[in-house]
Amino acid sequence: MQFTLTKEQALIQKMARDYAEQNIAPIAEQIEKENRVPDEILKGLAELDLFGMAMPEAYGGADAGYDSYVLAMEQIARVSCGPAMAISAHSLGLSAISNFGTEEQKQKYMPKSCKGEYITSFAFTEPGTGSDPKQITSTAVREGDHYIINGTKRFITNANYPGPLVVFVKDSVSGKPTAFIIDKFCEGYSISEPWEKLGWHGGVLCDVYMQNVKIPLENLLGELGNGYPVLQYGIAFGKIGMNSVALGTTLAAFEESVKYAKEKTHRGEPIAKFQAIQLKIADLAMKYEVSRWMAYRLGSLANKPKSPADFAKEAALSKVVIAENAMAAARIAMDIHGSYGLMADYKVARIYRDAIMGPQVEGVIDMQKLIVAGAILA
Amino acid sequence: MNIIVAMKQVPDLQQVRIRNREPVIEGVPYTLGIIDKNALEAGIQLKEATGSNLIVVSAGNEEVEETIKEALAAGADEAYLVLDDKLDGMESSLTASLLAATIKKIEEVGLVIFGEGSGDNYSGQVGSRVAEILDLPQVGYVSKIELDGTTAKITRSLEDCEELLEVQLPMVVTVLGDINEPRIPSVSQILKAGRKPKEILELDDLDIEIPKDKKISTLSNLAPETDRKRVAVKSVSDLITALQAEGFVGR
Ligand SMILES: Cc1cc2nc3c(=O)[nH]c(=O)nc-3n(C[C@H](O)[C@H](O)[C@H](O)COP(=O)(O)OP(=O)(O)OC[C@H]3O[C@@H](n4cnc5c(N)ncnc54)[C@H](O)[C@@H]3O)c2cc1C
Repeated sequence: MQFTLTKEQALIQKMARDYAEQNIAPIAEQIEKENRVPDEILKGLAELDLFGMAMPEAYGGADAGYDSYVLAMEQIARVSCGPAMAISAHSLGLSAISNFGTEEQKQKYMPKSCKGEYITSFAFTEPGTGSDPKQITSTAVREGDHYIINGTKRFITNANYPGPLVVFVKDSVSGKPTAFIIDKFCEGYSISEPWEKLGWHGGVLCDVYMQNVKIPLENLLGELGNGYPVLQYGIAFGKIGMNSVALGTTLAAFEESVKYAKEKTHRGEPIAKFQAIQLKIADLAMKYEVSRWMAYRLGSLANKPKSPADFAKEAALSKVVIAENAMAAARIAMDIHGSYGLMADYKVARIYRDAIMGPQVEGVIDMQKLIVAGAILA
Repeated sequence: MNIIVAMKQVPDLQQVRIRNREPVIEGVPYTLGIIDKNALEAGIQLKEATGSNLIVVSAGNEEVEETIKEALAAGADEAYLVLDDKLDGMESSLTASLLAATIKKIEEVGLVIFGEGSGDNYSGQVGSRVAEILDLPQVGYVSKIELDGTTAKITRSLEDCEELLEVQLPMVVTVLGDINEPRIPSVSQILKAGRKPKEILELDDLDIEIPKDKKISTLSNLAPETDRKRVAVKSVSDLITALQAEGFVGR
């Protein structure tokens, strides 16, 4: 059992922290207000290899492992969740192509995605369902040497950027969920205006409309009528990113609170001298420690998952704890800041709005618990 | 041509905490000196402009072998390291002898770059001492370097003027912290750093004896007191006057 970072991992962590501090922190409020991550930031993150960190070198990735990916993403999210959310959703789609794609699909999509020239999306949610694959209504109908896809996907991260979209639809023959790859902005592909969300501003979320989108047969991802493993595995891999975002938020809540407790004075003493504040700081430290080791561990399990079902359980379990810890940490940070925390001038207000996002995204908390219980009681 | 950059391993100052005015170094990871990183960046830019080979040299305890990966990730091609745990806390003249002896082992040296001072003690002596031992010309307070065949065009930033010099290579420069903005290495560069060539030297290889008693003893190492001034002001103009009096604004 080893609980230390290698020199390389420490450098990767520092790289992301330095980049975020130097380039993202000065415009974090701008990202918040405009709900958009400037292109030069996405380009900068791509130059650091963050878009293909855990992908194999043979397909243009940096092959740094998912544990290193968590370390880097945590530091980006600590400063701003928007860019971290974009990379997280991108990596989710990319891991599905990497895990289930044919050689041709990998050659076609991965190198450009790893360089950030493509930003990938993963589309499961529909207006009618976000948790139940059986209720998908989008369809794929085979016509000769191609499929025709129709349907609407809701809340799709990165739908506004060019690149592949891994999409779940029912194929007309089996009537079961099947995964396909669509090139975003092909004929028949259109998107809504971005949703205005409570938190994670800068991470862009649109509805996707597919009207007679024509794709060649070879764009099938995995097996026809057997999209479930792609979905299960994909969403489990996506939780590595979601965990990192919530972890970065927890770290930000912790750091902002320590700073504020030392700066803010009452009767001439910093409030950090009060025991009531000290207990809260200890709670924050504990929440952060629990979250961080669970997030790092899921990353390291992802480097060599035992089985999809086992990995899905570990992912679900860690997501619940880490997302709830982020919310609790944000609340404690808010209490330490008092009314100042509610003001837009203070970072905690943003941290609070960001923290509340985690539990609902990529599988609500209750569904995660059902996955965990299902695996234990199977 | 080889460009040499000398870098010192220091505790990561961002993580050093002050307790009872004493720095707490225990458990603080090592990094490379902050101005040394500017020296390295200057070296990388010259290497890119001229196609030279960039070698980083460092002397220190065994941990330097790991710490130096930071320089190899940022763009150095290889490293020459003098490693011995006895070298912990050595003073500037010993460091200079070790580095000079190391640099002598490297052929075709064109330029040796140092930071103006180290990240921890900032004695600012090592660069000049090495130049003296190697009998090379040296220029300090450097804010710009251009290589032109066998000469270097150097800009020195002095208090009230800039000095432009043309110097025959090989030579030694010590650079200022604002000469450039060090780049952030990518993930792939970090992962490849460990595979770059490293020449590990021992004290025996350099024929340098470590003196038994240290020439310098540290009496105390205290952080400056930073008590709040608690100046009460009644208006913005009072505040501005107070800040001006402290020299923070409108100097
Ligand atoms: C910022 C953000 C980014 C997103 N990005 C993407 C994306 O890139 N791709 C994508 O496909 N989706 C994305 N989503 C959608 C998100 O993943 C879904 O909204 C989420 O999975 C929940 O689905 P839902 O909203 O339809 O909730 P529902 O599935 O309707 O669940 C609502 C409630 O019903 C309960 N419930 C539902 N089913 C069950 C059940 N079987 N048993 C017990 N309880 C149940 C749950 O407790 C839950 O609280 C994103 C959402 C957000 C906010």
